[in-house]
Amino acid sequence: MTDAVTFGNDWLELQRRYWEGWTDLSRRASGAAAPTANPWEAALDHWWKAVSPATPDLGRDFMTRIMDQGKSFFALADGYLKNLAAMSGGGLRGGAADGWTAVSRTLEDMQKAFTGGLQGGDNASRRLMAFWELPYDNWQRLVSSMSLVPGDVLRNMPHNHLNQALSAPGLGYTREEQAQYQDLMRRGIEYQQALQDYMQFFSGLGAKSVSRMRDFLEAQDKPIESARGLYDSWVSCCEQVYGEEVRTAEYARISGRLINAQMAVKQRMAIMVDEALGALNMPTRSELRTLQDRLQETRREYKALRHEVDALKRQLAGGTGGPRPALVNTAPKAAPRKTPAARKVAPKPAPSK
Amino acid sequence: MFTIDIRPDKLSEEMLDYSRKLGQGMENLMNAGDIDTGVTPREAVYREDKLVLYRYQTPAGVTPKPVPLLIVYALVNRPYMTDIQENRSTIKGLLATGQDVYLIDWGYPDHADRALTLDDYINGYIDRCVDHIREAHGVDQINILGICQGGAFSLCYSALHQDKVRNLVTMVTPVDFKTPDNLLSTWVQNVDIDLAVDTMGNIPGELLNWTFLSLKPFSLTGQKYVNMVDLLGEPEQVKNFLRMEKWIFDSPDQAGETFRQFIKDFYQKNGFIEGAVEIGGQAVTLKDVTCPILNIYALQDHLVPPDSSRALKGRTGSKDYTELAFPGGHIGIYVSGKAQKEVTPAIGNWLNERS
Repeated sequence: MTDAVTFGNDWLELQRRYWEGWTDLSRRASGAAAPTANPWEAALDHWWKAVSPATPDLGRDFMTRIMDQGKSFFALADGYLKNLAAMSGGGLRGGAADGWTAVSRTLEDMQKAFTGGLQGGDNASRRLMAFWELPYDNWQRLVSSMSLVPGDVLRNMPHNHLNQALSAPGLGYTREEQAQYQDLMRRGIEYQQALQDYMQFFSGLGAKSVSRMRDFLEAQDKPIESARGLYDSWVSCCEQVYGEEVRTAEYARISGRLINAQMAVKQRMAIMVDEALGALNMPTRSELRTLQDRLQETRREYKALRHEVDALKRQLAGGTGGPRPALVNTAPKAAPRKTPAARKVAPKPAPSK
Repeated sequence: MFTIDIRPDKLSEEMLDYSRKLGQGMENLMNAGDIDTGVTPREAVYREDKLVLYRYQTPAGVTPKPVPLLIVYALVNRPYMTDIQENRSTIKGLLATGQDVYLIDWGYPDHADRALTLDDYINGYIDRCVDHIREAHGVDQINILGICQGGAFSLCYSALHQDKVRNLVTMVTPVDFKTPDNLLSTWVQNVDIDLAVDTMGNIPGELLNWTFLSLKPFSLTGQKYVNMVDLLGEPEQVKNFLRMEKWIFDSPDQAGETFRQFIKDFYQKNGFIEGAVEIGGQAVTLKDVTCPILNIYALQDHLVPPDSSRALKGRTGSKDYTELAFPGGHIGIYVSGKAQKEVTPAIGNWLNERS
């Protein structure tokens, strides 16, 4: 067994002690103290840092996602028990009435946190609030994947002092270059504003999903008896609120603007890189694309001609063998049949085992 | 009524159990090794550029029908979804019904493929694959099964080359791209496609992934991983999950010019419905599709809403049109146990009655 797994066992032991502490508490009379230290998240992070370099790429990303979401799930259970303990004044009574109150308190905390009325919030609230960071987190992953540097470097680019500089015209030999940098900055600022709008759009939805969760729970006929049931209900409420909001014209405008703004920045950067390459007498992306377009057009024509030649050969050979022409000619233009690049395998009967 | 009744001792037990599964599952995950995809024996029978045409091996004891079947998959994601694992394989199911199955693997386009257009894909690649199969089997017409975007391509192909298509099966295929419940369509209306393609050249697969995951971010990037812990104890289940995970994120880049045309003509101009599609200089008209059609859609499809697929009814020139509604999602229609029992045999039987 590896050291990594041994550490995993240590973590499991911590887990066992922590959760059994809560179980003991539920069996004791009031006055007993609730477990205060929460050892699992820090230990889990520590363990993961140790083993993740040895994990295959696919597994690593996958496990990171499992653990991130697992923490939300743990935090939900943890927060619930703490609220229950706080109500009982030590000891845990449990029961439906207390359970409802504990969840209500958690929802109240979350509501306050989402609307800015609660500074910090406890671990459960923070974790569940972080749920609404998923859309931005996903966007950041995308931007990161399309960039040389990790993360979204433009997000926090300072720009307040740039406005004046951007409005000043360029001068002298480098006038055009100055204008390009100014344009890049302007596009960067537009991207930041688009990103702020995007994040702002989601910021109001957290509070909405807390209300939705409350309504959902109140309308339930069957009681929820497990942390997983509670977690699934929370996911379902978030998804419902999200689904309603992102189908609006407002969201389509905001997300479209975000993508367009990101592309506009990239476009200006690509032009500037091309100019730098040109100055070094090296091929540019723009030149390459022109060549690609011309080559593809040539290939298209070549394949069409080849098709015609094949058809003529078949006619000369008596019209047998080879692909048959269309029974009704609906092809848009001389549809090619064979290409020099094509490697054909001689027809043979269907393979069987 | 109090709707929360979570007993503290039960909750502790539940969390401890979850922790145990998570801890034990780590080892299974780290030992998972390489993830294999595609299970049915096959051989490459035709290659062109990055395209490979595969022919699948007919199982022992099955006599293949004389009219072969070509599967046209989407450019988005990889076609091994149709043959992802031994007990979840659309291709295996089709072979069992006697279909002689071919499949186009589009490969991974790179910048050299940026200038490929819909004309190149439909009147070029697909047509040459069809001709290869017709020649190999000595038949005038073949059957085509188009999946998702591949279904839209197949409709275009059939409209332009109806004489070469005996029967057409469309699976989770968008036809009306502007139904009110089509989130993808709503979102893309405000995207400047020309700017995106002019800037990026090819459209990165990651951008498509982000779009698809944004349809249901909490379930697809959150809850899924919490639920996954229940499966971590079983090495085979871990592999199955990782296989699906690989497929989801295995997104080829999209050839720029094809993407530009597809999004603008279909998603933004709703080309099939408004008659706005022109490929290789010729208008694509659904009325020109006159062969028998089996149109299969998924009732819980969040990518291609059922109404988007159902819009095909009455819009073609076919006198033999059949619909099959599957109670599942866009992916479940290939990989769920129910699909193996219901969808694949239904396709095979429908084709056999007409071939």
